[in-house]
Amino acid sequence: MGKLHHLPSAFLIFGLFYTALLPAILVNVVFPPTASAQEPSGFDELVSQASAAREQNNLPQAIDLYKQAVALNPKWPDGWWFLGSLQYATDAYAPARDALTHYIEINPNAGPAIALRGLCEFETGEYVQSLQDIQRGLALGAANRPRNAGILQYHEALLLTRNGKFGDALQEYGLLSKTSASNPDLFEGVGLAGLRTALLPKEVEASRHELFVMAGDAAFHFMAGDEKAAQQKFQDLFQRFPTAANTHYLYGYLLFPKDPDQAVTEFKRELEIAPSNAAASLMLAWNSLIRNNPSEALVYAQKVVAEEPAFPGAQLVLGRSLVETGDAQAGLAHLGKALQLEPQNLEAHIALAKAYSELGRKQDARRERLLCLELTKNETNQVASP
Amino acid sequence: MSGYSASNLQKMKRIRLRVLKIFSIALFCVMLPAIAQTRQNRSDSACASCHAARSATQPKTPMGRALELPGDDPTLKEHPKLTFHRGPYTYTVETHGDKSTYSVTDGAHTISLPIHWNFGQGAQTWFLERDGDYFESMVSYYPSIAGLDITTGDDSLSPTTLDEAVGRKLQKHEPKDCFGCHATNAVANEKLDLASLQPGVTCEHCHKGSSAHLVDASQGEYGSTPPDLRKLSSEDISNFCGQCHRTWDMVIRSHWRGPINVRFQPYRLANSKCFDGTDPRISCIACHDPHQDVVRQDSSYDGKCMACHGVSGHPSSASSGNPAACPVAKSNCVSCHMPKVKLPNGLMTFTDHQIRVVKPGEPYPN
Repeated sequence: MGKLHHLPSAFLIFGLFYTALLPAILVNVVFPPTASAQEPSGFDELVSQASAAREQNNLPQAIDLYKQAVALNPKWPDGWWFLGSLQYATDAYAPARDALTHYIEINPNAGPAIALRGLCEFETGEYVQSLQDIQRGLALGAANRPRNAGILQYHEALLLTRNGKFGDALQEYGLLSKTSASNPDLFEGVGLAGLRTALLPKEVEASRHELFVMAGDAAFHFMAGDEKAAQQKFQDLFQRFPTAANTHYLYGYLLFPKDPDQAVTEFKRELEIAPSNAAASLMLAWNSLIRNNPSEALVYAQKVVAEEPAFPGAQLVLGRSLVETGDAQAGLAHLGKALQLEPQNLEAHIALAKAYSELGRKQDARRERLLCLELTKNETNQVASP
Repeated sequence: MSGYSASNLQKMKRIRLRVLKIFSIALFCVMLPAIAQTRQNRSDSACASCHAARSATQPKTPMGRALELPGDDPTLKEHPKLTFHRGPYTYTVETHGDKSTYSVTDGAHTISLPIHWNFGQGAQTWFLERDGDYFESMVSYYPSIAGLDITTGDDSLSPTTLDEAVGRKLQKHEPKDCFGCHATNAVANEKLDLASLQPGVTCEHCHKGSSAHLVDASQGEYGSTPPDLRKLSSEDISNFCGQCHRTWDMVIRSHWRGPINVRFQPYRLANSKCFDGTDPRISCIACHDPHQDVVRQDSSYDGKCMACHGVSGHPSSASSGNPAACPVAKSNCVSCHMPKVKLPNGLMTFTDHQIRVVKPGEPYPN
């Protein structure tokens, strides 16, 4: 994927921008600058020339003039902002990142600038920093318009997928499915997350693109609410790629909240294709726990931990299965491991509260319960069904 | 006592008892098919042959009447025509004899559905079926107003069409959950089986395997006696009752915060500072006998509180010493420490099971 794919693709995916308008939109509309600081006299002329060049879409000249201006006055935040965003628009990602860093030093909580730096880092291959910046930017309000939200959520989902956080990535894609038009690039991202493949689209072998696009297409339609179309697309996928890993898992994963019985069938089909698929075993273990069958859950859970001991979900499900089959003491050890791997895991804290309570460790149980209340205090749901 | 010694009398009595027992068992075996048939209606009548006292009271409890057929339910007969208006929609529940109809109209069109299932005692919600889909009625009957209002939990729904105004369309798993709690034998192999259900919570609902026990006991076999639930720990009892009354975990996962969660007693109880998963004095059944109607008199619970807070506290609390006794009063503990809380819709009031020292003006905790 070349230059066109990178920045513009993110925008084109959501049908938001036309390339010719992109720089001006980026600078003036998408991420508007904050109020200027006091500038020293003498460089006003430079600023007005830079501004004129920018408005005329003469980007090389505008960039050059902004460089001169910030050299003259390094504390001028708008100069760094315009320089960074124009450099981003001309695919000069590393200099753009550095210019935005200067801007962020002056305005440390500027969400849009932090998010835009994250997009620069995405292009320069600094994926860890990119995800951090995009998430921080989002937390600071960078998704101030639907189109910005779409661009940032898409990149966040790509990076989460690359980090192996497939469930989190699918959640982001689920949000996008409600607001975004369908597109093969987006499908491929969804397909990578859904088929649990920790790659970016550009890292996928050419021969596998079709698999991910088909899987993503089916999943996207399901998440968008068109379950009938999704069902057909999944059947087409199973027929075209009968032995591809995680296809049945993905369908089961999406079905699980609405039709757990059908989901279980899909997980079992997945295990027929790939008997060591830990994710499918994990979902079967969860399903057994939900259905109050901890003995059955224990069998799946032990299998998952044997295959993926460093997977927090594996330790959690084994810990819970042990607690619920009466071995709370053994369960504690696995729940502890789950929390070492993921300290804020609510399910692990819930299970710990129960294990401590079963063991008569009243104070520990109370501590865990209070922690769970604290972890969920901002996620209030005021509707409770009968 | 001529001719008969005391031991002879005892012997005769034993023989008579044995004959009676054999006769009873034989009679029981002959009657078994009939009992099994009756089980389709209420299995507790069969259980009553041995567990008479509990079988006599349990069916009359709110749990025993958690689901009723329209003809069995006095509420609708007492209120043959109920109406409620919300926005452009008017709801009517009309009863003629044993048949009740739920209708909603926007003035131009009307949807009418027969009521087959009444859920709940006191407040009552109707489970409706339309074109193969299941709905929870948008309005319910509330004794506090002796009339209809929006069903608790559906307050935030804003129907924009007459179809939507009928009620909340249930997701695929929900009917199973509804009947799973309000009826017995409604779920077989994890599938809803309306043909086999018995309305309300009967013996088999909590005492799984009691049907097999019934058959075995008739042959003098007691190996299949259902587990004694009294032996469960307080934590396990909370989770057992919480399957329907909601466990602490369920409420946390669902993020139900604020007064709406006051009706989920196991959750509230587990949030209490005094809750101890291994102390039988704080379990659901320490205070409530599910075979009896709920006791509404505050003072009747004093003994339960004093089991821990009395001078002679249970030795298991010795590690932290006996909990402090109340400096304010010696009776009616629950009237202060378990306050009554109204749901946000103001239509129902519940006792808050988060046992605590309530401070004036403090917000509802958790």
